[in-house]
Amino acid sequence: MTHSPGPKFALPVAVFLLACFAMPIVIVAWYSLMPPRTFDLGIDLTLANYHTAVTEGYARPLMWSLLGALITTLGTALIAWPSAVILHRHAGRGATVVSVLIALPIFISESVRLFGMNVFLMPRAGILAGSLDWAFGFKIGSILNTWMAALVGMIYIHLPFMLFPLLLGVSLIPQDRIEAARDLGANRWQTFREVELPLAAPGLLIGALLTFVLSLGANAEAAILGGRAVTVITAAIEQRFNYAQDWPMGAALTMVVIIVTAVIVLPVLARLDLNRLTQ
Amino acid sequence: MADAMQDSRPVILSLAGFSKSFGEIQAVDNVSLDISEGEFLTIVGPSGSGKSTLVRLLAGLESPSAGRLLLRGRDITVIPANRRPTAMVFQSLALFDHKSVGENIEFAMKMKGVPPADRKARVHELLRLVRLPESFYARATTQCSGGERQRIALARAFASDPDILFFDEPLSAIDYRLRKALEVEFKDLHQRTGRTFVYITHSLEEAMVMSDRIAIMQAGQIIQIGTPEEIYGKPANRFVAGFLGEVNILEVAGGHFAGLDRPAPANARRYAVLRPEALRPGKGDVTADLTVVQRLMLGSRTQLFLRSPTGAPLISEVAGDAPEFERGTTYSFGFSPDNIAWVDE
Amino acid sequence: MRVGRRAAAVVRALWIVAILAFLYVPIVSVVLASLANTRYMRFPHKVWTLDAYRDALGSFTTWQIHSISLSIAVSVVLIATVLGTLGAVAFARYDWRGRSLFQRILVLPIFFPQPVLGLGLLLSFSAVGLAPSWKTAVIGHLVWIVPIVTLVVSIRFFGYDVAQEEAALDLGASRWQVIREITMPQLWPGVFSGMLFAFLLSWSNLPLSIYTSGPDTPLPVWLFTRTATNYSPLVPSVAVIGTAVSALIVIALALVLAAGKAVRRA
Repeated sequence: MTHSPGPKFALPVAVFLLACFAMPIVIVAWYSLMPPRTFDLGIDLTLANYHTAVTEGYARPLMWSLLGALITTLGTALIAWPSAVILHRHAGRGATVVSVLIALPIFISESVRLFGMNVFLMPRAGILAGSLDWAFGFKIGSILNTWMAALVGMIYIHLPFMLFPLLLGVSLIPQDRIEAARDLGANRWQTFREVELPLAAPGLLIGALLTFVLSLGANAEAAILGGRAVTVITAAIEQRFNYAQDWPMGAALTMVVIIVTAVIVLPVLARLDLNRLTQ
Repeated sequence: MADAMQDSRPVILSLAGFSKSFGEIQAVDNVSLDISEGEFLTIVGPSGSGKSTLVRLLAGLESPSAGRLLLRGRDITVIPANRRPTAMVFQSLALFDHKSVGENIEFAMKMKGVPPADRKARVHELLRLVRLPESFYARATTQCSGGERQRIALARAFASDPDILFFDEPLSAIDYRLRKALEVEFKDLHQRTGRTFVYITHSLEEAMVMSDRIAIMQAGQIIQIGTPEEIYGKPANRFVAGFLGEVNILEVAGGHFAGLDRPAPANARRYAVLRPEALRPGKGDVTADLTVVQRLMLGSRTQLFLRSPTGAPLISEVAGDAPEFERGTTYSFGFSPDNIAWVDE
Repeated sequence: MRVGRRAAAVVRALWIVAILAFLYVPIVSVVLASLANTRYMRFPHKVWTLDAYRDALGSFTTWQIHSISLSIAVSVVLIATVLGTLGAVAFARYDWRGRSLFQRILVLPIFFPQPVLGLGLLLSFSAVGLAPSWKTAVIGHLVWIVPIVTLVVSIRFFGYDVAQEEAALDLGASRWQVIREITMPQLWPGVFSGMLFAFLLSWSNLPLSIYTSGPDTPLPVWLFTRTATNYSPLVPSVAVIGTAVSALIVIALALVLAAGKAVRRA
């Protein structure tokens, strides 16, 4: 124990993450304290960009992103919980096949999948509208280019990220605990709330955290499906960097997202036992 | 008998002043011990007593903080495990699950560079030795039952033709009946092969069945070593006595057995250890009226939980189902001081 | 009671079918969209044709974006496998002071909004004077993929009885023989899965590439920009080709692995 080679093996990864994960955050933080529209790092620090962020309406994109992430997390959880329970308890041998089918889309680029969702939802002669018109003479409208479509896309993209940790969580519930709760007089809802939910909590927590954080930064859904009906925070940052050429302002907004993420992620991560979960 | 054997056989392994500490913790504390050629020595202790560390030191999987280890007079203290002529059966068995049964057993020979044909012949011989069918050669270890896996681990250890075999609680995770059967097989294998076995267990019962000698470990030290009869008849202290199972331990104070209010004999020491079967109903050199608190049927015997007039708890074991000893009834029980094992601590 | 049970089973089956439909209808839609030769989508197509595939294969852009994606993915696989396997040894094989902290820091990049990470890296590359290209995209991908590969390999490590190494040592194996006979064969499936994960996640990644690849456009970035702005009729066919290429590479790797195993058995 005293001379464990652990640190030696950890070193390459630790150095890499320090250089390519921690350092960029430090650089972004530094830029965020530079005077507006400067391109070099200096030592006269200012909070002007953060002041602008609060006063000039950047709260709105952040709110859209937070709201979108919240709705996506809840939506995927509501869809994923019954799916995980069915797969774990009832599907038997088919469960593996279905699980693989659910996992596969993770490895297909979201560009491809969002484009697919786009042509499916396209008004008039899209796959859905065109098929209904052709088969039944039905003319339907479309939700494409609305915030609603962006949300559907976010749930669609992030569902596997919720489902897999949840499947892990549900598999942590021993069947006899449920039977014991039922035997002691708990009804379905009480069993769910008192026994199943707490036992599956580690998986649910990881799934929720992953989904929330990934959809907090999501931009492609709003661009491809939402028709930029709302401006999400990532789009706002990108505009500062590219079109406005105001790096310090973009950096300040980036820091805001990083801080929001840290506030949500760090307390949960501190409590999780990572050894148990990967076992 | 074991003592005579001890004397007639040469020492194969000799430990002197063996110690191992992990940081603050002294896992093995100044252990000295001679193990005889061909003996079956069992080291018994509760978890945390240092017995596992001791056997890992002997196998060369850990290096001692202090002390020397001699194999037939040759100092092997700093020789690593892979160059010691010993083999170990691990607690988890540590079978190589990516290799077949045959590949597991021939591993040591492969490491030595034995040609495949010779290895195969020897594996078949070893399968016979541990009573496994030869068809097991190509089987996956994951398809074998618990008992079969034990035998594979045993055959694998034997394959290197080791001078000493170490066993680190291999039977601890096995159900009762299979464990009993394997204990007999281990003993039988020891007798057939004539090898030196050093066996670690937390069960004194297991040790009693198999061993020529038993060493009791507590807090990193060997506190008693002797034949099963010696351990059973003359435990060194209350700890060892307690390890033997349920016993009566009577404190002697002011020349009297405390709790019984009877005089103790002249040779009395601090504590009297009295086995339940030595406390009998009826007459004895020392008698007392005891009340039956609980009666437990154990098949051919009955265990009686008793209480003395001053409230001291005692246990007696009688033959048969003893229906007369109903709860709440009071009888006279007695014992002979000859049956007492005296201990000081 | 029986009827109720059967009804419940039907509801469960329908639910799963609905989930799979939700996940796969868009993917099937891409394939359907690729079978037209019109510039604008009019479904059902008047003419079903593979023209778009011919055009895509004849286009220099298709080859270029694939070669950029492949350069990135191969680099990511090589580096991430080495770093991730070493990391997994520290993560799961040994118990050491600071391991718990190491584990928590390691998973942080996974729980981080990727586009924000990409933007932060872009700014940092500019700050240190590194011009964005496919090589900087490799760095971006690695920040996210190295932790994932570490976790994937770690799972294998947690199920691995370290006593096997001691047993091999005890049976006369040298350090090197232990690594060759015991450690590597047992960990290899985990390392291989890690490689597959690294490849697929790099090949399909959009949010990191979009900000870190500069003028080099990998496949997902090309698809995204050509969908979101200035649409190209090649988008559906290139999307299908790109996905098929990654599937073929994975299948080929799996076959090579299986063949290698068969050779060793024989």
